[in-house]
Amino acid sequence: MSKVMMVALGVLVLLLIVFPFGVNPYTVQVAITTITYSMLGLAFAFTMRVGLPRFDIPAWWGVGGYTTALLMKDGMSFWLTALIGGIIAVILGALVFSIAIPRGMIPFLMIGMVLTLAFYQMYGSVSLFGAWSGITNVPPPTIGSFEFVAKRDLYYMGLFFLALNLVVYYLLFNSKFGRAWNAIGSSLRLARSVGVDVVKYRMANVLIGNFFLALAGSYFVGYYHAALPAVFSFQSALLVMVYLIIGGFTHSLAGPILGALIATFIPQYLRVEAEYQTIFTAAIVILILMFLPLGVLGWVDQKVKPWLYRQRWYARLNKGKVLG
Amino acid sequence: MSVSLFFQILANGLMAGGMYALVASGLTLTLGVMKIFNFAQGHFYMLGAFLTFAVTVALGLPYPVALLAALLSMALLGVLFYFGLIHRPMAQGFFTTMLITVFFAQIISQVSLLTFAEQQKAVPAVVPGSFSIGEVTFIYGKLLVIGCAIVIMLALYYFMKTKIGTAMKAAAENREVASLQGINATQIFWVTMAVGCGLSGIGGAIIAPVLGCQLVMGQNIFMRCLLVLMVGGMGSMSGALIAGFLVGIVESFAFQFVGSLNLIVILVCVGILMYFRPGGLLGQPLPVPGE
Repeated sequence: MSKVMMVALGVLVLLLIVFPFGVNPYTVQVAITTITYSMLGLAFAFTMRVGLPRFDIPAWWGVGGYTTALLMKDGMSFWLTALIGGIIAVILGALVFSIAIPRGMIPFLMIGMVLTLAFYQMYGSVSLFGAWSGITNVPPPTIGSFEFVAKRDLYYMGLFFLALNLVVYYLLFNSKFGRAWNAIGSSLRLARSVGVDVVKYRMANVLIGNFFLALAGSYFVGYYHAALPAVFSFQSALLVMVYLIIGGFTHSLAGPILGALIATFIPQYLRVEAEYQTIFTAAIVILILMFLPLGVLGWVDQKVKPWLYRQRWYARLNKGKVLG
Repeated sequence: MSVSLFFQILANGLMAGGMYALVASGLTLTLGVMKIFNFAQGHFYMLGAFLTFAVTVALGLPYPVALLAALLSMALLGVLFYFGLIHRPMAQGFFTTMLITVFFAQIISQVSLLTFAEQQKAVPAVVPGSFSIGEVTFIYGKLLVIGCAIVIMLALYYFMKTKIGTAMKAAAENREVASLQGINATQIFWVTMAVGCGLSGIGGAIIAPVLGCQLVMGQNIFMRCLLVLMVGGMGSMSGALIAGFLVGIVESFAFQFVGSLNLIVILVCVGILMYFRPGGLLGQPLPVPGE
């Protein structure tokens, strides 16, 4: 990583840390929401890398959320419930995906959609999950006697989860797994022909995604203090896709976060009537898909970067390096 | 379970199954021929039902007019949808066009919500009343739905044997070779879209007198059609037909025992089936994108 990049990253981390001190609590809340949706988007982009679009995000998000809600009401520590939720998501996922993944991308996609609906029905119909009213009054997460109640504290907790997510994904991308995933994502048949076990690596990818989705669910309940079926519905899956499309799904780490940032903060300033909000967002997304299919980051790759490389000052800054 | 209840549940299952077969056939047609996963398929069904309400209740026209209106207007909307939003982005691949249909479906949902202020509308029964054989009661409306579904599926079967239907099958198998034979891909695509959306539209028109119109009926039927596609095999029309009725019947009986958890029951059954027969009931589906 170049010196410029390291300095930029350092500045970014510093900004993230001091951010809540300079803004009102509402903005911090929006940031918390952005973090949650970033984590969901990361999981989607993570699995897209192996050529599998997943529509089952709300289902596993809900597994984490409901596990945390149920176990915390019994007095268990938040952190343990998050771990248990993740493990449950992985085990259940292994059961379901052992059938879905070998069948291919389209069955996986369809099973994902049906899973979301089935889990949504289950959360709403079964009294254990509080039926349609959900589980409310979940106690806040604690470390010792310290309670995570203030928005700022919850924001830092979210940053911790997001950072954990990013670090793990980054390390995996640069590992043997990452190379296999890249191969599968580039050309499945070629990857198979050189001996990459497509099903095994896809399964690993999806299950790791499941774990972090459940973690995101636990975090959500940690700050929302409730688990409701309406949250873990198909609409959330679409929202995640919106963020990814806007950000650019070829960038597995930055795309979802940028998309979530843009899509969460901009509507705060572009006051559209609530009833037209959905139409407006959907129309924007369709336009982006038609004219900017690789999202903002894709546009940056295709237009901004080549322009940047042609600038003398940029070349001077990167003296001796090969650009592009 | 009494005989009367059994036949009632069976009739409900066949009725729902007929609708699943219609909508799933449209879905599998667009998937097989155009390699597009039309997320808005269920929404055309919903629009067909609401259009029937508008024609029969608001305008006071006879029911057959509503049927024709639903078929033609949904077919036309499908063609406009194709040329407006699908034709150009098709080159960008499967995922992009699928997402476009997802968000188009969202727009249809929201516009419908704003237009038809109430969520539910009732359409008067076409043939009211019922008849009994022994202790079993048969409702004319439900039998009409089942009958219409079968007639339309037969019409579709014969349509696929016509020149254009055969061209569609050829394009589904191998687009390049089909175009080498002089088959115009764009023409095939908009015809496929028209047929697919028209099937959904007329399905909605058929079910409206029995079940009324609800804004959520589009998404609900789409989810069931996914299961139908998995059971019947993607790209297989006969698979969609058989699987449609099968899923409808299983769902109806499962509802009797587990209520709204019947979707989970179907999902488990589909999972077991997929484990033993990955290609669906009818084995060899037409080639579809992605593996």
